[in-house]
Amino acid sequence: MSLDPQHEATYAQLADANSQITNQYGSPITLLPEGDQGRSLQINGSNEIGTNPNRTKQHAFHFTADNCIGCHACEAACSEKNDLAPHLSFRSVGYIESGTFPDYQRVNLSMACNHCDDPVCLKGCPTRAYTKHPEYGAVIQDPDICFGCGYCTWVCPYNAPQLDPMNGQVEKCNMCVDRLEVGLKPACVSACVGNALDFGVVENVPASREQTETQIPGFPDPEITKPNIRFQQTKALPLELTRTDSARVKYKKGADDQYQPTLDPKSSGKREWNWKKLISRENPLVVFTLLTQCAIGFFTLAVATNQLTDAVALVTCVLVGIGMLMSTKHLGKPLRFYRGFNNLRHSNLSREALATVLFGGSVGLHLLCSQIGLYTFGYVAIPCAVAVLYFMIRCYTIPARPFWNHWQTSTAFGGAALTTGSCLLLLIGNNTDPIIYIALILGVVTELIGLVFHARRNRSSNSEAAASHYEQSTTFAKTHVCRIVLMACVCISAAVTVLFGWFNVWIALILISLVFTAEFIGRSMFYVLVTPTTMPGAFFWRNKGFEEHARETGLADNPNVGVARISH
Amino acid sequence: MLFGRRRKNPIKMADKGVTEWKYATCGYCSVGCSLEIGLNESKQPVTTRGVATAPVNQGKLCIKGLTEAQIFDAVGRGREPKLRDRIYGVWRETDWDTALDDVASKLKAIQDKHGRDSVAVISTGQIMTEEFYTLGKLVRGLIGTNNYDGNTTLCMASAVAGYKRSFGSDGPPGCYDDFQHTNCLLALGSNLPEQHPIIYWRVKEALEKRKFPIVCVDPRVTMFAQMADIHLPITPGTDLVLLNSLAYVILEDGLEDRTYIDAHTNGFAEFAAEVERYDPVSAAKICGIDEDSIRTVARLYGQAKPAMSIWTMGINQSTHGTDGVCAINNLNLITGNIGKPGGTSLSITGQCNAMGTREWSACSGLPGYRQLENPKHREEVGRFWNVDPAFFPTERGLFQTDIFPAIETGQIKGLWIVATNPMTSMPNSPRIRKTLEKLEYCIVQDAYEDVECTKFAHAYLPAAVWAEKEGCFTNTERRVNLTRASVPRFANSRPDGWIFSNLAKRWEHSTQMNFPESSEGIFEEMKLLSQGEKRMLDISGMTYDKIESTRGIQWPMPEGRASGTARLYTDGVFQFLDGKAKLLALPYVENNERPTNDFPFWLNSGRVVEHFHTRTKTGKVGNCNKFSPTPYMEMNPDAAKEQGVEHMSYVRLVSKRGDAVVMVQLTQRVPRDMVFIPFHFHECVNRLTLGLLDPYSRQPAFKQCAVRLEPIAQDEAAKWNQQLRDF
Repeated sequence: MSLDPQHEATYAQLADANSQITNQYGSPITLLPEGDQGRSLQINGSNEIGTNPNRTKQHAFHFTADNCIGCHACEAACSEKNDLAPHLSFRSVGYIESGTFPDYQRVNLSMACNHCDDPVCLKGCPTRAYTKHPEYGAVIQDPDICFGCGYCTWVCPYNAPQLDPMNGQVEKCNMCVDRLEVGLKPACVSACVGNALDFGVVENVPASREQTETQIPGFPDPEITKPNIRFQQTKALPLELTRTDSARVKYKKGADDQYQPTLDPKSSGKREWNWKKLISRENPLVVFTLLTQCAIGFFTLAVATNQLTDAVALVTCVLVGIGMLMSTKHLGKPLRFYRGFNNLRHSNLSREALATVLFGGSVGLHLLCSQIGLYTFGYVAIPCAVAVLYFMIRCYTIPARPFWNHWQTSTAFGGAALTTGSCLLLLIGNNTDPIIYIALILGVVTELIGLVFHARRNRSSNSEAAASHYEQSTTFAKTHVCRIVLMACVCISAAVTVLFGWFNVWIALILISLVFTAEFIGRSMFYVLVTPTTMPGAFFWRNKGFEEHARETGLADNPNVGVARISH
Repeated sequence: MLFGRRRKNPIKMADKGVTEWKYATCGYCSVGCSLEIGLNESKQPVTTRGVATAPVNQGKLCIKGLTEAQIFDAVGRGREPKLRDRIYGVWRETDWDTALDDVASKLKAIQDKHGRDSVAVISTGQIMTEEFYTLGKLVRGLIGTNNYDGNTTLCMASAVAGYKRSFGSDGPPGCYDDFQHTNCLLALGSNLPEQHPIIYWRVKEALEKRKFPIVCVDPRVTMFAQMADIHLPITPGTDLVLLNSLAYVILEDGLEDRTYIDAHTNGFAEFAAEVERYDPVSAAKICGIDEDSIRTVARLYGQAKPAMSIWTMGINQSTHGTDGVCAINNLNLITGNIGKPGGTSLSITGQCNAMGTREWSACSGLPGYRQLENPKHREEVGRFWNVDPAFFPTERGLFQTDIFPAIETGQIKGLWIVATNPMTSMPNSPRIRKTLEKLEYCIVQDAYEDVECTKFAHAYLPAAVWAEKEGCFTNTERRVNLTRASVPRFANSRPDGWIFSNLAKRWEHSTQMNFPESSEGIFEEMKLLSQGEKRMLDISGMTYDKIESTRGIQWPMPEGRASGTARLYTDGVFQFLDGKAKLLALPYVENNERPTNDFPFWLNSGRVVEHFHTRTKTGKVGNCNKFSPTPYMEMNPDAAKEQGVEHMSYVRLVSKRGDAVVMVQLTQRVPRDMVFIPFHFHECVNRLTLGLLDPYSRQPAFKQCAVRLEPIAQDEAAKWNQQLRDF
């Protein structure tokens, strides 16, 4: 339709005469064997193969940060080309700033998908919606496959995949491969007014540019995904650069001259409760993880203490069932839940889902088969339970979410399995077995030890985890303390119960309510507190603080405000 | 390393189904970018693209141009003409004949009762040149009120008045190509990256080829200030002092171009005597720029040869805006930097057709830069239009900013507002609201019926917008460029030109006059009027087809010439009778409302790139509006700490006029004693502004007044803020 290379100016034409052999990460730039020109990308069903002579080479954006004026032309051109609603954008411009008037500097950062060598989005996606094509090295996502779990938006350090809460699916930058096929640079690059954005075969230095750095301040560690973007930034920058969005993060120059994220409190640091803020779009996941972990602990302890009754198996099945139901509720397109197992080869999320089904399934089979005296499935369920826990932890320990990327995630999940599982067993099974109380205490202690070390790491961390920690000790300070006190109470009550032998249902009831309250608070905070390694936002656009404000006050009801009314 | 490539669906890319592209000139600002509107199979506009062969933008468009296809079928477009008897009454939709009959009879009735000048017409810089010309013919030739002005009084009037005072005529002498040749670019109160992104790109392109120094004079650290080699963070409202002092150093160091001054200027002695009072030491105390920097910049400018200056609202919107413009002209005259490649005084204009209204609307005089005061001009135009020259007033009437006080005092009873929104754009909006309530009859003619003035109107006329009609815009560098009618008109809207010529039919004398049907017919008529001895504004060599094929032509282009003219005054001959330009003595008078203990902050206002004017268009284009959907204020974090104000909270600002609620954005971009608010929002910055008037241009000083901060309950402020945003 609108692609007419004749119509476009020289600056919009790709001009890579030569290219290097390997990129700065040591990987080959030509992605297919010599002579192989690749396949048709089947753009909108067409079988044509583009005329671009470099189509099998890895392409990349080049961004001259010195030049970006934050004029939004790239974003507008992208939205216009991809016909995007205002609340979405495949490319966003944010900024960091520094200095004291008039010695003031603003660095604008325009960022889209970096079509990484190691696309964590592709690896994380359970539905296999992503493809890294040997043509241009483009990482392209297919919204028709996606079921809207949003996991790719968690693992991507650059906030490139866009979860559309109105449509229940993810979409992202497609590198304008249709333009590349006819020798044109992407729409955003062609539209750049500050001469900041450029595009070509990776490692090629654009005309009148000198650098191909892999890092600039505000940009997450390139080692996470080996992104295909190169930077030029020659103007001297001050020691510290701050963000205007609500993220409590700024960037400080370290000894190695690299900028690292550190805490920027941005508030007086009042210690508060903020119960309401615990409610988030991840609520279904709070329920899913807690119930699944409860089922794991409950079932395993029951087996360990020889209490594997029909009731125990039934309750386990019900817990897993409700958990699974809640996890699909989290999806943008729940009816596509069956696609969750499509990427067992790479995705921990797929593996977690399969393990959960196998666990629930084998307990269910056990329930059926035990009626005819076959108990094998009960034992099969145990390794499945371990696998669920393992992959669940792996799902959350990801570099783009530094707050989760710590062994405390294991102690939290494992500890929760013990605490919730043991309480439930006290209620349903034999409440006189001290081992169960000991498991309960062990669970609490594990969690507390995890919390101590987690806090110690986060406090002094050069990562977004420091911001999460600050939030934990201010916005949710009282809630956090309340949770720890509750856990301590659990610990003491359990110990007292065992010591004095006060075994009865009432104690079990008290314990279970205390444990679930504490765990529910803890798990909600786990989701709410995380600060991802995203690119800096602007004052309104890509500012989580403003988005929340717009939703609360009703500004978001006007679609032209560009904030989705619901948050998934 | 390549993953997930088996059995995949075809890649889906958005396809807007464009079947044809239609030529247009961007309808937002005065840069004058050539673009094409993409129409789909059902002829609906779905997208735009820049024209690569266009000399102005070479294929580039800014955010507003890129999203411009969305302005047609937007929220708030006017569907039908409407009438009502009282401004608190209910609107009733009507047909065009009834509406125009009502408008004509009401205007005539007011004129019969209170005199010809008791109705006023406030026009715009938004409609096409042919339409301006028709409106001028209607107002000057039939309605006969002298109180007729355009909203250009709010933006370009000082540049116009300054050009007239220095060179004897309006008309920016330079062009964008000058960036390629200049050895120094001095930008005063002009933030190109935000206000004129494509001109900024032209500067950037020139810089990529050849480095030349940029000096930026701006009280804020704008993006342009940051990109400049030298930033002079000036005290608001004191640019005249700086400019006089620059001239002082140039004269002191003998860097002036004596030959040029002697050959092409008058008034050097008086000028030099006045400048003598602005030595850098004294000037530094007033303008806040240290004496070393003044000397450095003056020497740089004096030695650059050629050097050029550009300016925008930072100069124009000031109590001595015209003096500021003249001082820039002085600087360029004494250094011989007029009419040379890379040496010029280039006012960067505001609206898409601010130039068109200056040239042809007869607001400030008669069409084609003719003056009411000149009997020969009255005679010429009268004969050409078949109007008795005695019907024309012999001097210019009230400016827009004087029309409102005249309504306030009861001299004016009827008002016709064409494609402008004074309720948001005029300073001191509390006063404007009271003024509009006093009108006996008010007509609002606009493409968007939700424009805030409609609340005070008795008649609303829905106009067609931009490419729904045909005609020309003139851009900052005098380039006349064309927009083809390519988009079906929205609902029952009509082109402004159609409204003018059909309203004209309600005056008996119109039968003796000619109102051509087509835009091209009007253009051909204007060409005849543009000819004549020593007429600078000559478009007689242009045709619609030639304009489209060359993507715009710079006037003058007399008949028989193959192309337009890049620069004016290349021969050093100016439009005064003796052909010489005037060097003017420009004493600085301090009359701004400055910060005090009670009102400790300067209030500065300006533009953001994603919005245009009062947001009637960009407020409805989500992909523009989302970047600043609600009013905000830049404030210095150190001052905020002192005042107990937090980032992203709401504050209430109070001035001696009124108050406004804004969200706070803390940034060191602004000094400790200043706050900055984008002017685009209704019920916001202009509730606070004073807008003292420039004595020559009657342009308001939007950017200089004093405010204080008051705390406000956050949830209440949020509610208030939301209620004030219809779009």
